[in-house]
Amino acid sequence: MSAVAGFVVGQRTSNGRDSFIWWDWITRRPDEIWQRTLEHVQMTVVAVGIGFVISMLLSVIAVRWRWTYGPITWVGNLLYTIPSLALFVVLIPFTGLGFVTAQIALVSYTILILVRTMVTGLDSIPPAVREAADALGYTRLRRMRSVDIPLAIPAIIAGIRIAAVTVIGLVTITALIGNGGYGAFINDGLNRRFPTPIILGASLSVLLALIVDSALVIIGRIATPWQRIAEQRFEAAGR
Amino acid sequence: MDLDTAAIALNNVTKRFSETGPAAVTELTLGVAESEIVAFVGPSGCGKTTTLRMINRLIEPTEGSIKVLGRDQDALPAHELRRSIGYVIQQIGLFPHHSIRRNIGAVPELLGWDRKRIDERCDELVELVSLDPSLLDRYPAELSGGQQQRVGVARALAADPPILLMDEPYSAVDPIVREHLQDELLTLQERVHKTIVIVTHDVDEAIRLADRVAIFNIGGIVEQYDRPAAILRAPANQFVASFLGRERGLRQLALLTVNDLTTIAGPTATLTTPVASARQLAAANRVSWVAIGEGQQLLGWVSLHEADARWPDGSGEQATVADLTLQDFVAVVRPDTPVREALDVIVTSSSQMAAVVDDDTFTGFITISQIAGGLD
Amino acid sequence: MSAIGDVWSFLTTGSNWTGSSGIWTRSMAHLWISLVATTLAAAVSLPAAIWLGHRRLAPVLSVGIANLGRAIPSFAVIALVLPISISLGFGLGFWPTCVALVALGIPPIFTNTYAGIVGTPADSTEAARAIGMTERQLLRRVEIPSALPFIMTGLRISTVQIIATATLGALVGYQCLGSFVIEGLAQPSRARDRLLTGALLVAAMAMFVDYLFNRAEARLIPWRRTVR
Repeated sequence: MSAVAGFVVGQRTSNGRDSFIWWDWITRRPDEIWQRTLEHVQMTVVAVGIGFVISMLLSVIAVRWRWTYGPITWVGNLLYTIPSLALFVVLIPFTGLGFVTAQIALVSYTILILVRTMVTGLDSIPPAVREAADALGYTRLRRMRSVDIPLAIPAIIAGIRIAAVTVIGLVTITALIGNGGYGAFINDGLNRRFPTPIILGASLSVLLALIVDSALVIIGRIATPWQRIAEQRFEAAGR
Repeated sequence: MDLDTAAIALNNVTKRFSETGPAAVTELTLGVAESEIVAFVGPSGCGKTTTLRMINRLIEPTEGSIKVLGRDQDALPAHELRRSIGYVIQQIGLFPHHSIRRNIGAVPELLGWDRKRIDERCDELVELVSLDPSLLDRYPAELSGGQQQRVGVARALAADPPILLMDEPYSAVDPIVREHLQDELLTLQERVHKTIVIVTHDVDEAIRLADRVAIFNIGGIVEQYDRPAAILRAPANQFVASFLGRERGLRQLALLTVNDLTTIAGPTATLTTPVASARQLAAANRVSWVAIGEGQQLLGWVSLHEADARWPDGSGEQATVADLTLQDFVAVVRPDTPVREALDVIVTSSSQMAAVVDDDTFTGFITISQIAGGLD
Repeated sequence: MSAIGDVWSFLTTGSNWTGSSGIWTRSMAHLWISLVATTLAAAVSLPAAIWLGHRRLAPVLSVGIANLGRAIPSFAVIALVLPISISLGFGLGFWPTCVALVALGIPPIFTNTYAGIVGTPADSTEAARAIGMTERQLLRRVEIPSALPFIMTGLRISTVQIIATATLGALVGYQCLGSFVIEGLAQPSRARDRLLTGALLVAAMAMFVDYLFNRAEARLIPWRRTVR
């Protein structure tokens, strides 16, 4: 344990191996950082993408057949509560050590978040708009496609933002089973009792989350031009 | 009403929302003729909206049948039936994420019209409902309540459906805009000749807009279904009478015109009438003036107070009314003036009578008694 | 099938329940750290969110930052706090884990509470001001009750996540249900029973607490029952 204590107490002498952040160590590794970034982004995009497709289906089912909402969220909740670490371990005998196992855990984590926000979004569509669509002769499918889902975009985006940011944080844990993007730095630092990679991994993870989150906000704005106008009117009325 | 020729025919329709509960609509039989405006009025919970929504199958009847344009309602899938029935609701329900153009073009889009035809139709419709064409590329949130309501009507009419259903279409707009929109609907109807069913809780709106009014009671029971004037004149029962309210007489006035009243000759003299006879004429009518007629024309009036002032001693018996100052007659109504307006003219003028003049032809006077007489 | 058999036999072996590394002790430790972490997270985020929400301050910024907190890897926080904790004399397992869990618990409570306060219907706040409520009364009698469903949701999500993540404490030597997982991991060939049991107990605890929150919500927020 003295080695552990050492990395906090016995430093601050120079910009060297013992200091809290060793900049040289970071600047020497642009390739590795880039590599890990790609890996992290890939893990996140795949997990959120699969989670999105599954959740969209489940949400549409839950809205169409109300009674399924309870069971769907119950299962989502179960997946959400199983510790990711434990889920990896349970899955390893079946899906091996690596990408698939990591993805199953990450995807299962997104479902509760996404289904809840999507269902809330679909439910919050003004009843008059739905009634009008029905009365004009929209079929169920058509209404879902061109009225319900577009109007739920703000809620859907909000859900994706939370899911994406959460997954970005979680990907690091998958380092324990040999994937993990930035988690590899953290794992490395943990094993070597060396804080620089831990801080690097954690900071990059938050930075990536910031970028992805901002990108999603922008995408959401572009996808819902009518919202902006509503907001402007609202602000004009409110001030 | 002959159900076989009706544009919309409800035959013995019952709707129950739960198996044990009371019926929302009970064995209703009712027909709406082609190109007719029918209003369903009644207190809340009377089943008027349920009935309306059964016509385009937003609600399916529990029993009975509904025919639309002679065709059994179930002949088509519900969504196809609805494309041929325009629908306007109080909350309008415009699609907030679509431009006004796309909102108006919603049904043509569903019907698979090509872009150009849809655009042309949109241009036509904004003109029809008196909207500024520059609004076409805006979003609904940018429009006022009245404008949104017009868009709602345009959207309902987009594919030129023969039938238009309106559920409390004007309750969300302020009274001035409402009156304006009601007028517009009547003007519009003169051009499009739709079969229109309008649900409202506002008796005045029903009277104003509808050719026939159905008064609904709780449970979807129609207590009376007739022309507005007929209902006002002779309410079928206590429920209808109390629903029409204490202002029933006043409401009737809105439907009557001066033409419907019998006129009286009133204190009408000619230029040669002696003042003494004029005095008697005025006294008989309990006024202090006489009107001066010449053939079919009303020249004006003279004041007998003036005669009193000029000949205070009772002299001037030889004088005629021509010696007095002729003044213009202000309280004038036309035969097509609504009686409600004529009443206003009478009570606000000092003459206590209104002269009825049709293109310079003077036909007589009306007083409050003539109006009261016209209500029976 | 044998996995279930393994768990069953592990759970039915009396000796696994008792002692300082038995199921009972570790469950209590797991609950304890979760309780402390949730309380601290709520103590930090509730007042901040309520105040910022009431003043309608920095809506994009505050919620954005709180949201980004979700991206902080708990795993890294534990690793970083560990040495600090040791050097300051707070010891090995409990506090590093607790700090990571508090960080994890803040974003859901903050964002939900903020959204709930800000989402109070404008009619209600206007009516409250119109009848002469002070800002403090408005907050206590209108905004907080109106935000209560959201606050409860935030607390619930945080608690469930904290319970699930407290498992990581075992990595730095905190004796909790995660310890079964870690011990199982150490000998993958032989100890699947330990590992699965640990994972299932954590999930069961989280779901049970989730259920308790549901019950509490129904009781605390009677006006919401009619909504669905």
